[in-house]
Amino acid sequence: MKNKTNCKIVEILNLSDKELIELSAKNVFSLSLDEMKAAQCYFKKLKRNPTDAEMETIAQTWSEHCKHKTLTGIIEYREEKCSKKIKRTYNNLLKETVFKAAMELNKKWCLSVFKDNAGVIEFDSKNGVAFKVETHNHPSALEPYGGSATGVGGVIRDILGVGLGAKPLANTAAFCFGNPDTKPSQVPKGMHHPKRIAKGVVAGVRDYGNRMGIPTVNGAVYFDDGYMANPLVYCGAMGIIPKDKIEKKVNSGDLILIVGGRTGRDGIHGATFSSIQLNQESDVGSVQIGNPIVEKKVLDAMLKARDLNLYGAVTDCGAGGLSSAIGELGEKTGVIVYLDKVPLKYDGLCPWEIWVSEAQERMVFAVPPKNKKKIVELFKKENVEAVFVGKFTKDKKLTLKYDGGVAASMDMSFLHDGIPKPTRLAVCKIKEEKVQKPVKMNSADLSKALKAVLSDLNVCSKEWIVRQYDHEVQGQTIVKPLHGANIEVSGPGDAAVIFPYTAAKGTKKGVVLSNGLNPQYGKINTYKMAASAIEESLRNAAAVGADVEKMSVLDNFCWGNPNKSEILGSLVRAANACYDMSKAFEIPFISGKDSLHNEYSIGGKKYSIPPALLISAMGIIENAANTVTMPLKNEGNKIFILGVTRNELGGSVLAKIKNIKNGIVPDVYPKESKKIMKMIYKSINNGLIESCHDCSEGGLAVAVSEMAFAGDKGVKVDIDAIKTKGELTVAETLFSESNGRFAVEVRSENESKFKEIFKSCVFAAVGCVTEDKNVIFESVKNKIKVKEKSRNLLNAWRDTINW
Amino acid sequence: MFEIEIFTKNGFKDSRGEHVLSAIAGLGVKGATKVDYAPLYIIDGDISQTEAMTIASELLSDKITEKFEISSKPQSGKSKNSVIEVLYKKGVTDTVAESVVKAIKDLGVTKEVKVKTGRKYYIYGNCSRVVLDKIAGKLLANALVQEYKIK
Amino acid sequence: MKKVKTLILRTAGTNCDYETQAAFELCGATAERAHINSLIENKNKIFEYDILAFPGGFSYGDDIASGKILANEIKNKLGDRIKKFALRGKPVIGVCNGFQVLLKMGLLPDPKLFEQISTLYYNDSDKFECRWAYLKTEKKVKNESNCIWTKNLPDVITLPVAHGEGKFIPINAKLLEELNRNNQIVFRYSTKDGGTPEYPLAPNGSVEQIAGICNAQGNVFGLMPHPERYVFALQHPAREGFDGEYGWGKIVFQNAVDFVK
Repeated sequence: MKNKTNCKIVEILNLSDKELIELSAKNVFSLSLDEMKAAQCYFKKLKRNPTDAEMETIAQTWSEHCKHKTLTGIIEYREEKCSKKIKRTYNNLLKETVFKAAMELNKKWCLSVFKDNAGVIEFDSKNGVAFKVETHNHPSALEPYGGSATGVGGVIRDILGVGLGAKPLANTAAFCFGNPDTKPSQVPKGMHHPKRIAKGVVAGVRDYGNRMGIPTVNGAVYFDDGYMANPLVYCGAMGIIPKDKIEKKVNSGDLILIVGGRTGRDGIHGATFSSIQLNQESDVGSVQIGNPIVEKKVLDAMLKARDLNLYGAVTDCGAGGLSSAIGELGEKTGVIVYLDKVPLKYDGLCPWEIWVSEAQERMVFAVPPKNKKKIVELFKKENVEAVFVGKFTKDKKLTLKYDGGVAASMDMSFLHDGIPKPTRLAVCKIKEEKVQKPVKMNSADLSKALKAVLSDLNVCSKEWIVRQYDHEVQGQTIVKPLHGANIEVSGPGDAAVIFPYTAAKGTKKGVVLSNGLNPQYGKINTYKMAASAIEESLRNAAAVGADVEKMSVLDNFCWGNPNKSEILGSLVRAANACYDMSKAFEIPFISGKDSLHNEYSIGGKKYSIPPALLISAMGIIENAANTVTMPLKNEGNKIFILGVTRNELGGSVLAKIKNIKNGIVPDVYPKESKKIMKMIYKSINNGLIESCHDCSEGGLAVAVSEMAFAGDKGVKVDIDAIKTKGELTVAETLFSESNGRFAVEVRSENESKFKEIFKSCVFAAVGCVTEDKNVIFESVKNKIKVKEKSRNLLNAWRDTINW
Repeated sequence: MFEIEIFTKNGFKDSRGEHVLSAIAGLGVKGATKVDYAPLYIIDGDISQTEAMTIASELLSDKITEKFEISSKPQSGKSKNSVIEVLYKKGVTDTVAESVVKAIKDLGVTKEVKVKTGRKYYIYGNCSRVVLDKIAGKLLANALVQEYKIK
Repeated sequence: MKKVKTLILRTAGTNCDYETQAAFELCGATAERAHINSLIENKNKIFEYDILAFPGGFSYGDDIASGKILANEIKNKLGDRIKKFALRGKPVIGVCNGFQVLLKMGLLPDPKLFEQISTLYYNDSDKFECRWAYLKTEKKVKNESNCIWTKNLPDVITLPVAHGEGKFIPINAKLLEELNRNNQIVFRYSTKDGGTPEYPLAPNGSVEQIAGICNAQGNVFGLMPHPERYVFALQHPAREGFDGEYGWGKIVFQNAVDFVK
């Protein structure tokens, strides 16, 4: 191939296996031997060596980040449970679990599932809503502020790049960090202190989200030493899109328009880098600093262009940069790109760097030639840079040109389908869980435990974080992340509700967002962790008044090194739980993302993170005004506990604090809990529920206490009245984390109607709201009385994180 | 080239400086008694001293709460304190700088200028070089994208 | 009946423009969101409107200081028109970032002077604060202030705040005294019963808990809290409101629309 570009020829044709591996490592291609051989074989057929631009394109297109090759590859799964063995081969794990359930459920309100930058469900007759959650773990470990900010920026671009572009309405953010109180000397060398990471990550999410004018309304924060050197940063975005803008269409002859930020050397190899484990010499080029205002300008202008029908397709530049964005849009047609036309931040980039740079705030459009002038003028009026760099062809080839020479010329079919499928072994030996020795505590111990659980890092108030996010911009957040009967008190909301009255004028509907995350359970049982996360996300949504029949979920797997068969085995189990729960609850997954290789080394020893599955739920509420919040409302009202309390302390907060050995991890009983959720929806719509809160970390003792102090009220609970399965001690009853339970407040005059609705569910009236502002848990049978001022419990909950 | 530093005037709360001071305490190092925070703008271009003054007074500082200092050559540290200066490394996007360039044009200064932004922290008290390095490295700068100087 | 026309000025980083538009529309006005470039291009365009609104957001990222770059741009490119608009007695409102812009270009507190004589500085907490606040609309204010935007409000209302730079500081004691004397301080952060608050009820450390001020004539109004985020009772954390449906913020916009009518 003639070449007067700045491309180097990569000698590959005559390399041995060993040399191929070395070449891949040296250039951070992150390609396996089989993949390098596939490339070698392709260029042997072409009878020439590739250019660096071609090898970089292959490396990027085939990267774990872009192709998800572990989970789309072949997995040989072996499961062992009490000498019972199961064998199964997966040709594509997610397609055979998460995605399969969605196909089988075949909900007609699912408008776009697992094929675009985000999943889309129906909002009303005119609009859909799109939701996507991404992770940005490795960049956040190295540069917490820039890493999380670009994580937010990236997921917002997913929403801008779904269909022909959705208008973002809300963001979500969930994090896993190491213990912020870690002694500096215990932080691995070369890594940032967990508190510095936490503060930087929060600041990044705050600054990007606030500047974009998108409220960050829902999230979770989880602290565990397993995330000390490898924090997890999940960023989500939800947007609204007209139904007639959900499909993209690229035609041969359409022009390629790059819009937004300029291209620099930032973020080179981000896609390939995310597939390797973290170490102190991590690639500095992989870190970027975002500019939210550039993205805001793109958002403002592109929605105008969308509504004028000026383009046929759009996608965002994320991992893999132009290579990924243009490559995907042009997969079926072919493209020619003139890399020298791409606007640069500074001189000196070689062609391949321009092509794979992950510089932020860029979108790629397919524009019919007739709109060429109009669209550029539109962007110019809003001071947004927009430059044509090539066009979509018919030849099904990727052609890159630079200064008149050819930098790359490859078949799209090879790029997109030429990757060899690896086979991995996954093993899971299931250990039987044992009930712990009965946990016995006296009244004073229980009081102490209640305060300790409330102030535990994983239960305590995240107000320090939440109030730095502008969670009310756009004026549509009608169920907020924090709730209080007045401005002086607060408690944690279960889910957020967006009432998009400016985006969908005249609407009465709302969009509910919630999540479920509990890595502690996953340390014992990843199946139950996944099932619990799904149930928790639905429970959270149901608690504010969501219709469980109109819910959808997203999966985000963050796992360790999948080349280790036990780690991959634990992932297969979690994926199976996703399938089972999705089917049982009839809740489709609509999109997802995985981040594997979350592994780090300290002193030469490698550690994988505790597996974490974040489930993010989105649903439509028919009447946004029919939603409730969690603070107790009025003295004299009755308190009910819905659902069964089981002896499930495995992985619980109490077990951690009291160092309790053994314990059963909470299981999910879909039939039971779905029925309760449906009845809650019915009750709320009949005006029968004053407040509602789900029981999760810390059990029902925490849930009821939170309702009391958020309401600036007192509450009296009769422990003996709580419905349990089998004999539980008082401590077990109060702190068991059984799924499927809610605490609700009902007016006396509504009691009989309420009971009638729930007659076929397990529930019990357990107490009432009191005037004296004391939280009381009493068991006459066991001679136990826990009595605390609700203001004291509020302070215990509030004071942990105050940086 | 002009280096313009912005200070909070006496009598007004420098909440950003105070925040850094409390964060230093959180690091577990001793010796710092006060921190003054000063944003730094380095403006390169064919502009006059008067134009630099206009930019500093009209644009970069707040008339009510802030004062500025301009120097056309690098400063030597003041005696009673140590200074940690943090700048982005070459190639890292400096978004504020891009905005300042626009604003200088709006102000009517038509000459082409290049801008770099940074932050200066005046640390009062008795801090050893080791302590200052710790403050800079663990708190104020991330070596991946920023570099710092201690004066 | 006359249709009241509102212009909502936006630029890079403006982000409360849609809800501000919705608030004016709810009160019966038309509201157009216009990019500053279109106003610079057509300088007399603003005189086609009855009300001018500077919405919240992060204009130009709040780089340098909040609202500074937009204030600088407006003052140098549109200053004379904006001043004329204000001096004609037409209603002008700046919310949050818009308030910061009004103060920093000097349209408040005295549009005749048109010089910056007060500022909004970094919150004492050095944090962005998104929370609800009680605001005292002093009796005196209701009865005697010229402010056209704040009539018909009860003694204490609630509105959400969301800002990192909201600490109001006047240039000197004389100005503060003048603002007090002319009843230009129309909103102050307070406790639930109108008392003097502490953090976090005083979210930023403003001098005399000042949350919003107007010019002496009463047509130009700037405030840090967001009235446009509380036009429906549904937007309140405890769903409180008036007439069962609306939030106190609606009255602010309604006042201006009624004034023009």
